Amino acid sequence: MGDFFQTTIIVSILAATVRIATPLLLAALGELVAERAGILNLGVEGNMLMSAFSGFIFTYIFGSLWVGLLAAVLTGALMNLLMVFMAATLKVEQVVTGLALNMLASGMSLFLYKAFFSGSGNKLPTIQIFEVVQIPFLSTIPYMGEILFSQKLLTYVALLMVPAVWFFLYRTQYGLEIRCLGENPKVIDTKGLSVTLRQYLAVVCGGVLIGLGGAFVTIGSTVRFIPEITAGRGWLALVIVIAGNWKPSGILIAALVFAFLEAFQLQVQGVGVQLPYQLLLALPYAVAILLMVVKRSTSEEPGRLAVPYFRGER
Amino acid sequence: MEPLLRTQALTKKFHQVVAIDSVSFDVRPGEIHCLLGENGAGKSTLAECIYGFYQPEQGEIFVEGKPVQMSSPAEAIGRGIGMVHQHFVLVPTLSVLENIVVGTNTSGILLDLGRAEKEVKRLCERYCVELDLTTKVWQLPVGQQQWVEILKVLYVGARLLILDEPTAVLTPQESRALFEILRMMTRENMSVILISHKLNEVLQSDRVTILRKGKKVATVKTDETTREELTAMMIGREVEINLTKDDPVMGPEILVIKNLRARNDRGQAALRGIDLVVRGGEIVGIAGVAGNGQKELFETLIGVRKARAGQISLLGEDITRRSPKYIQEKGVAFIPEDRFAEGLVPDFSVEENLILGSQRAARFKSRGFIDFVRVADFANKCIADYEIATPSGKTITRTLSGGNAQKLIVAREFAQAAKLTLANQPSRGLDVGVIEYMHQVLLEKRREGGAILLASEDLDELYNIADTIVVIYKGQIMGAFPVAEADIQQIGLLMVGSGTDEFGVACRI
Amino acid sequence: MNLGSLKIEPRLEPKFSWQLLSALLALAMSMIVCALMLSAAGADVGKAFYQIYKGAFGGWNATVKTLVMSTPLILTGVAVTVAFQAKIWNIGAEGQLFAGAMMAYWASTFLSNSPSGVVIPVVIMAAFIGGALYGGLAGYLKARFAVNEVLSTVMLNYVIRYVLSYLLVGGSWRDPSSFYQQTPKVAEAAHYPLLLAGTRLHLGFMVAVLAAVTVYFFITRTSLGYEIRAIGFNPTASRFKGIHVGRTVVIVMLISGGIAGLAGAGEVFGLHFRLKPDISTGFGFTGIIIAMLAGLHPIGVIAAAILFGGLVNGGIRMQIFTGVPTAMISAIEGIILLFFLTSAVLTRYEIKRVKADG
Repeated sequence: MGDFFQTTIIVSILAATVRIATPLLLAALGELVAERAGILNLGVEGNMLMSAFSGFIFTYIFGSLWVGLLAAVLTGALMNLLMVFMAATLKVEQVVTGLALNMLASGMSLFLYKAFFSGSGNKLPTIQIFEVVQIPFLSTIPYMGEILFSQKLLTYVALLMVPAVWFFLYRTQYGLEIRCLGENPKVIDTKGLSVTLRQYLAVVCGGVLIGLGGAFVTIGSTVRFIPEITAGRGWLALVIVIAGNWKPSGILIAALVFAFLEAFQLQVQGVGVQLPYQLLLALPYAVAILLMVVKRSTSEEPGRLAVPYFRGER
Repeated sequence: MEPLLRTQALTKKFHQVVAIDSVSFDVRPGEIHCLLGENGAGKSTLAECIYGFYQPEQGEIFVEGKPVQMSSPAEAIGRGIGMVHQHFVLVPTLSVLENIVVGTNTSGILLDLGRAEKEVKRLCERYCVELDLTTKVWQLPVGQQQWVEILKVLYVGARLLILDEPTAVLTPQESRALFEILRMMTRENMSVILISHKLNEVLQSDRVTILRKGKKVATVKTDETTREELTAMMIGREVEINLTKDDPVMGPEILVIKNLRARNDRGQAALRGIDLVVRGGEIVGIAGVAGNGQKELFETLIGVRKARAGQISLLGEDITRRSPKYIQEKGVAFIPEDRFAEGLVPDFSVEENLILGSQRAARFKSRGFIDFVRVADFANKCIADYEIATPSGKTITRTLSGGNAQKLIVAREFAQAAKLTLANQPSRGLDVGVIEYMHQVLLEKRREGGAILLASEDLDELYNIADTIVVIYKGQIMGAFPVAEADIQQIGLLMVGSGTDEFGVACRI
Repeated sequence: MNLGSLKIEPRLEPKFSWQLLSALLALAMSMIVCALMLSAAGADVGKAFYQIYKGAFGGWNATVKTLVMSTPLILTGVAVTVAFQAKIWNIGAEGQLFAGAMMAYWASTFLSNSPSGVVIPVVIMAAFIGGALYGGLAGYLKARFAVNEVLSTVMLNYVIRYVLSYLLVGGSWRDPSSFYQQTPKVAEAAHYPLLLAGTRLHLGFMVAVLAAVTVYFFITRTSLGYEIRAIGFNPTASRFKGIHVGRTVVIVMLISGGIAGLAGAGEVFGLHFRLKPDISTGFGFTGIIIAMLAGLHPIGVIAAAILFGGLVNGGIRMQIFTGVPTAMISAIEGIILLFFLTSAVLTRYEIKRVKADG
């Protein structure tokens, strides 16, 4: 146990934390934009899964990570497009729609995977994945170099998205409009602007981020595709939005907390500490519930979240 | 002089209901033009059509002589038409400035609040409005929120202002101040369409167009008409105040409130020590602008909100910490402010709503299950007794009109002998006919010896039926007067806190 | 803008016939998409559909198997229905199913020498209690702490999966004689009696149908059922009129979880005769689709569950005979729900003929 607290191990856990936080952060930021526009998208998990699968399969087919990445992003946008169509145009119950998308993605990704690779026999298909990109000079800084500057491309993107999303929401016209949508869409409507159009834009852009998150799970992390590879990350992203109190800074912290739990668990397993591994695996979910219990009275939940907007209805 | 705006045979329908029927009128530059009519006469609908929020089925709109297709509010705003809605359209969690600026997109992608702030400050100075642009809207009193709405419209360069019932939420002084500023605007050749059903205000306009049941009755010059004439045109018949209010016969104290304190949803103090007594056979009317604690008071009285301190006694029994169920079973009836949100389950049938709260009562059950035959019988009786206009008891309540929904609530609440009746804004949004009916019902209760506590923003209503008028201001009772001794000037001052001028107007012209 | 002929307006009162129509329309559209997916996968569409049909309802054996398959689905569908009627989004039927199964199994380990007449009622009650407690937990979190029940139940789904894994791998429930993660076989006395000799149709099916019928009467005829619907439609007015919303939320989740727990017991004691992780392949989630498709009507759930049970069986047969992966059925289930939500919009709007006035 004494070995455990060596600095190398701590650094390695922290580096893993940043890495593991990547998909959580991207998905949560994507969901934040949608929720600020008033749309509760419970289909994040499904979206990430389909994007992950797209990334994988297009990389496989075209032998190019960039094509895969593009495919993942487009898939993310499309999945969210479907969500916002049902929520903002058809105005159906958002909760159930999100669930339906999850189920669809779950079945569809597996079906397509099996259908595509049905002839390969026992050999599981693999792809080349993104490599770590060492930032010149910065990656040589002791400790921080390994933690922050020796990550993969998508991780850097994820971290940069935090201030980017913040800037978008709080320093641009569109960000202000989007923030209105979640609180009182009638404000936008009575100024003669299209509520629906803005919701579409916000949610589809959010979908791009979710797609990036999904991409990381496959082409950013592992050479194979396993069914349900996203393993609940999408759900955690939803909790992260709540735990982060609908702010980019809070989301960053929450994502890192969850990522830390997983990084810690991985390290512990590797070292062979005598804790039942299921307990550690269950820990993020239990912590999520705890965070939701604690995080209620000061909530900045958008006032009209998941409430469809009808003009002039009783 | 070419009118600034003219409508020709404008017609708008919702489902099969005709909201406005072939209405033609015009507005001249520099005039205050009132749209007068009862609730449901079509005033708001007409305004929304002019503003492009609704599209009429038929008819045309002309701006400065040119025909215009108002396909959206953006179109209207572009032509200098701005509208302040009856129910404010603001984002409470954003600042005043942000609410004004959002969607105006004058500076590209980036949000340039600095430039906007200068412009808004300039407007404030011009019209003598004192407003801190950085406060969040939820922190503002209702009167000031109105100013945010007006600034929103001025900021985008409106030449024609449409104000929908603007003084519903203002004290008498604030109303006067608003009118002074409107006159200032008209002197600059701006025009105002003022929607109102308050004759006091209507008489301050230049011309009035009276609407009744969606049709235009007439357009008259205000100084050539009288109150009586206007009322007659508005209602379509001679108004008989049928209210026979007997002399008060005060019974024992039924409701005694001592030093009641409570917080609102935001955690701020809403009730700061309310002292009030209501006797049997007495109607106590609470005067006050919305947002001074009426909502929280009623919620605390029926047990939905927790009292932080103080005591509520009903016939001597302390009910301060009791549940809503207990309190209602002790004979308290409650007519809430928001019919469909607080008083009814809109997706339930009329029958089901009539037993809301009594769903466990033995009289509606047999052998442990709800007996729907008994429920139907009860419902049919209520529908008949209270003349609720509904195809049947099985109709979904959502389809009822506001007046009938209110009757449903009254029928339900009075099904049990109510020793104490609590009513929060019971006449809001109702036709004169239904309002009269409500008053009759309340006076009947009074005659039976029941105690009634009524809050209303309509001082006329209070003068008509209350025995005692109290004023609520910032969670405290500012004064109690027998109605005969209640001086409206004094009441008005108390409504703003005893003469302290706290409304947003710093100077007057 | 007056088109003069047709206009789309919100419908004031939804009609049952339209709801049925939208369900059927959803199924029809899904079949079309299914056909597209099949042909994209290079399969013979006609053959695939035929095998699905044969696997679902083609003959006596298949139909009985479908009823067996539908047993847990009826229960999870009813469980979800109860919660959704109160607008409580219980996504945790899956976890509650396992909680019930685990509690029932645990109870049965104490009664290994008792007769059927004792064990089976105990097992059923234990399953209900186990599921109820797990559902009630989420209900309590919602009532007391305003925790979003969608997220809490999803989290709890994951948690219980790991708890089960722990018990089955390193813990005391593991069957030492087997390579797989599972418990030893339960005692003969604990096996649910068969409803039809020679088949696998077990007591669970009767329990399921009874539960559906009971819940139907409960929701429409009792005061508590009234209150459940009231808080679903308008919690504010309910609160104002004396209904204890928080308490009702917990009660709803106790009932919902309990019914889902019964599904777990059925699979353990009626079908597999041991507790293992794959006694449920997403039944809790399928239950959601079934509940929605049935318009949150408990009796309708029976029909929808049988349909879906048939789909699952059909899918298995389809995979055997045509090689198309059963994952297609999962995808189709999601598609059915999406189409249903879309076509349900029909019940909200109606097309009216508007006379063109002169």
